[in-house]
Amino acid sequence: MRNMALALTLMACVLVAACGAKKGFEKKGFAYGCPIGEIKVSDMQDLVDAKTSMEGRRTTIAVTEIRCTMTGDLLKIDAMLNNDSTQVKRVAYKFRWIDREGMRAAEEEAWKPLMLYENSNYLITAVAPTNKSTDFRLILLSQE
Amino acid sequence: MIDLSRTRRLATLPLIAAALLLGACAKPQTRYGDERGVETVTNQFGSTDLQMIAESMTRSMLQAPVIVSGNLPIVTVQEVKNKTSEYIDTRAITDSIRAELQKSGSVRFAVDAVAMQQQVEELERQQSELYEKTEAVEKGRMLGAQYRMEGNIVSIVKQTKDVKDVYYKFNLQLWNIRNGLLEWSDEKEIRKTTSKG
Repeated sequence: MRNMALALTLMACVLVAACGAKKGFEKKGFAYGCPIGEIKVSDMQDLVDAKTSMEGRRTTIAVTEIRCTMTGDLLKIDAMLNNDSTQVKRVAYKFRWIDREGMRAAEEEAWKPLMLYENSNYLITAVAPTNKSTDFRLILLSQE
Repeated sequence: MIDLSRTRRLATLPLIAAALLLGACAKPQTRYGDERGVETVTNQFGSTDLQMIAESMTRSMLQAPVIVSGNLPIVTVQEVKNKTSEYIDTRAITDSIRAELQKSGSVRFAVDAVAMQQQVEELERQQSELYEKTEAVEKGRMLGAQYRMEGNIVSIVKQTKDVKDVYYKFNLQLWNIRNGLLEWSDEKEIRKTTSKG
């Protein structure tokens, strides 16, 4: 009887420990499927901050989520843009592709103009131009 | 007695001179711009549309199973039909798509119908007595394409007194020449609206 109780207690402890442990990302150097290198990323906002930048006029459009996967040997990215204002907003975006050595992996992309309705989200999807493009930055430019 | 009209005439002379000088200063300026920037000078087909279409089509085609397979398929570029009401150099679009695909290293391109004449002429030139026989390229060594790329661009234009709306739809297809199957196809849509005031 005492052994049974001990076994149950041990099992409970193991289960609690398993649930309590902080779940890490899928593999080292990646977060939400995206390459992060040595950068410390503990949540989605950290990843968005690391992968997004603005050029020229600042926009109030915010990147709320970035997720990556591989399609064949090419990096594929989904990025969610959010317009939380009560006005239609216009923005242009492009991806900058970076290779394993941190150099530019492909020619600069064209700015792609977008229109976001008020209080709406817009999902942009991009695929790397070559398999040498192992990292990226999403760049936004206001079109207001 | 002071001649008032003469004085007035004299007083206007510096004003005219100043106006001429200002006019001369306001000459048109020429500057280099961002060749990849968003161009909205008019709502006709422009550089941003061409670049967006080429990029979108290339990235989509790179995910097609026949290209992902890694067998370096040989493709030939055929015509993209312009079914819009405006003049569009569709060759510029296919050239951009071909250049991007070539840079990806996943596709090879065979000589297309447009470049065939030059290819044949060069082959025949090398067969002439002017060239070293052992170094000259031989006839009958060209590789035929396995796939052909073709497409079309259509537009819908709606216009009122104050608003002009243009909608473009670019469609590109990759056909298997051997069995006639459509291996990949995708579309890119663009809407541009110009309003007065």
